[in-house]
Amino acid sequence: MAEEKVFARRASGLVRGLSLLDAFGVGFMNQGLTPSMWVMISLGLSVYTGGNLIIATILSAIMCGIGFSLVWGILGGSMPRSGGEYIYNSRILSPLIGIAESFGNAFVWIMWIYVLAPWTVDPGLVMLFQFLGMPEVAEFLSQPLALFLIASLVNLIALFFLIFGIKFFARAQKVVMSLGILGALVILLVFTFTSRESFIQAWNDMAARYGSLSYDQFLAAAQAEMEAAGKRLPTTWNWFDTLGVMVAGSWLFAYSYCITFIAGEVKRPEKSIILGNLFAILVPAFFMLWLSIALYRTVGFQFLSATAFVDEALGGELAGYTLPWSPHFVGLAAVITRSPVLLFLMALSFVLFNFWWVALSYLAFPRILFAWGMDRIGPKWFTDINPRWATPVKNHILCFILGEIGIALYSVWQEQMSGLSVTGLEIVSVFGVTALAATIFPFVKKVRHIWEASPYNHWKLLGIPVVTIGGIVNLIYLAILFYFFIVMPGLEELTIGSLIFYVLIWGLGIAWYYFWVARNKRAGIDVSMAYGELPPE
Amino acid sequence: MKIFFVTDIHGSNLCYRKFLNALKIYGVDVGILLGDLTGKMLIPLVERAGGGWETTFMGRNIVLETQEELDRLKKTIENVGYYWAHLTPEQFADLKADQAAQDTLFKLLMLERLREWIALAEERLGGTPFKVYMAPGNDDHFEVDEIIEGSSVIVNCNDRVVHIGEHEMATFAWTNPTPWETPREKPDEELEPMLEALIAQIENIPTSIFNFHAPPYGYALDLAPELTKDLVQAADRRVHVGSRAVARMIEKYQPLLGLHGHIHESRGVQKVRRTTIINPGSEYSEGILKGVVIILQKGKLKDYIFTSG
Repeated sequence: MAEEKVFARRASGLVRGLSLLDAFGVGFMNQGLTPSMWVMISLGLSVYTGGNLIIATILSAIMCGIGFSLVWGILGGSMPRSGGEYIYNSRILSPLIGIAESFGNAFVWIMWIYVLAPWTVDPGLVMLFQFLGMPEVAEFLSQPLALFLIASLVNLIALFFLIFGIKFFARAQKVVMSLGILGALVILLVFTFTSRESFIQAWNDMAARYGSLSYDQFLAAAQAEMEAAGKRLPTTWNWFDTLGVMVAGSWLFAYSYCITFIAGEVKRPEKSIILGNLFAILVPAFFMLWLSIALYRTVGFQFLSATAFVDEALGGELAGYTLPWSPHFVGLAAVITRSPVLLFLMALSFVLFNFWWVALSYLAFPRILFAWGMDRIGPKWFTDINPRWATPVKNHILCFILGEIGIALYSVWQEQMSGLSVTGLEIVSVFGVTALAATIFPFVKKVRHIWEASPYNHWKLLGIPVVTIGGIVNLIYLAILFYFFIVMPGLEELTIGSLIFYVLIWGLGIAWYYFWVARNKRAGIDVSMAYGELPPE
Repeated sequence: MKIFFVTDIHGSNLCYRKFLNALKIYGVDVGILLGDLTGKMLIPLVERAGGGWETTFMGRNIVLETQEELDRLKKTIENVGYYWAHLTPEQFADLKADQAAQDTLFKLLMLERLREWIALAEERLGGTPFKVYMAPGNDDHFEVDEIIEGSSVIVNCNDRVVHIGEHEMATFAWTNPTPWETPREKPDEELEPMLEALIAQIENIPTSIFNFHAPPYGYALDLAPELTKDLVQAADRRVHVGSRAVARMIEKYQPLLGLHGHIHESRGVQKVRRTTIINPGSEYSEGILKGVVIILQKGKLKDYIFTSG
């Protein structure tokens, strides 16, 4: 190793404390391992029944490993501040785009609360009580009022994890991550050590016990239902459906970007942020690849697609199917093992990862509002920091209230597919805009001084800056996701509704910006001072 | 009256140049540049056998082949607030082994940069209506005062009361002790009588401005990551690190405005009884000039806006 040639004098300054492992932890937890594998299988295969999970996982891991790692890693390492993508987009693109994108992202974090807090209850807790032989409790939790009340409790607990500072949150995250990974490993090992014959035998035994459909009968009944719904159950995979499954699969691979919210505290940010992103993509990819191979070997390609369709499209309600839980992939593992401890750990893994997503919304949303307030694109109270807890308490409470409104709507509506709608908004708002910013970063004059000081400015391939290549790969991946989100068969209502919603959100963001510009102007304040470029010469 | 307040630019040429230009662009009457003014890092450009130079910058070992590459790096070093020095391998080895020689070189370069800044201000501000005040911070050596004092267009407001329109502004560079044992720090018990003596010079306290580098302890402007005994920050804990003496002065006298810096991460504003306290924060290392434009009218604070340019 070459000798370091630099001198530092005694002056106040901080040494960053978060390690690569800490950065990985934040990114990994936002990939939501177990529920994301459920999303990829159940939501993905129920729509794109001929999807190949192995190929979709490999393609996603390669494209995200290159695209997301380079885009978010290089932007985060070049501007290592804890403000998320708003910092990059407002500087590289424009303040207006930065605000509009940030507005979209703020909605995304609220949407995660209203989708994921209910998911913590159903299928999370519902699955747990079903596995533990308490169907009456599970049934109660599925009712709209109970779902609303318990999801509200989840929302409240998540609020308390963050509102009093990040100390408790950071410690709890380690416990949640350990237990969550342990539960996921149990699921994988259960499938790995079960042959196809043993699985069919276990399924048929359980079906006989509950008077339910045997393996073959289930397959036939699901196939009939699919044909009635205008779908088909293919015997093998095809490319179109495989690419389509990647939309749902993005939950496992596209969310490590959360690391950028702590970029200001990471040691050696030029290495830790990019590697933290990469590992937070590769580790879930390893889990998903293992799970896919094990599932195809143990459960079978057709049967897996059929269970995904029954679980998601039919809500677990198939005529003649009377097993006590929906046939999602954790449920399939529960058919094999009857150990209460293992069943508890498997369901707990789903519950914990899901709950942690809700908590992460409280990490991001209040900070986004704080940044707006500082730029006068919002009321002054957005910037109020509670001196005791060092957090923007009012913003946390607003986050809770907005989340509650969403949970109430979801409890009545109960459309699990709306989870994919959030992904669609992130593709167009957050990921797409940031990938564009990364692509042009080396060529934008106003941020040339940042690029010249960037540790990546010499990273080139065939003379092209690597960040630009990463941005292009990322944009291609996002284009694939967006196309398959738009053409999702049978979900035109959701996709059209979502598109209208996205336009509305962007419109609201721009209107919000101009409202505050006008309001401040009346008070004698020119908001452009908050962002305006200052020429040094 | 409009005031543009900036703090903690730590030797960044880019930020300083932006500050001078911002006065006109933001249309302010007064500019206040509070310390810390000087940088923290020295980048040795070490000659290589056979030509070129090598160094370490932003954690990366760099080899420079051409004069053009060297000039570009020098500019970047200056922009982020660092200093550079041409050294032979032997000079580098000697300097590395001699802490006192490092300190001397640092001081030389810091003061040289500050002289350049003052000269630039003379060039750009001469004949303009802008009134500019400058003062050091706890990281700045005492020689800094003399250099500011020598300027014809910048007023050294350190440790005195100056008039800004109808408002009086008292400026104080010292802070409570830091883990780095910087040049201007003392225990709060010693700061308090110094502050009392300074405040005693103010005639009308309700309309006055306390321009104190250290933020008051216990409010929202002094939150910094807690440090371990190795001075590594614990990212999961933020603690108050401001001055209790400053807090007591603000609570006791309740001026119109408190302008503070020191804690770069604690950009914010808060109301302490009738006093509005502000810390514009700092992102000097990225060449971004963080500041705040304050509008005063009829002896009161009319409004403010944080800036980032």
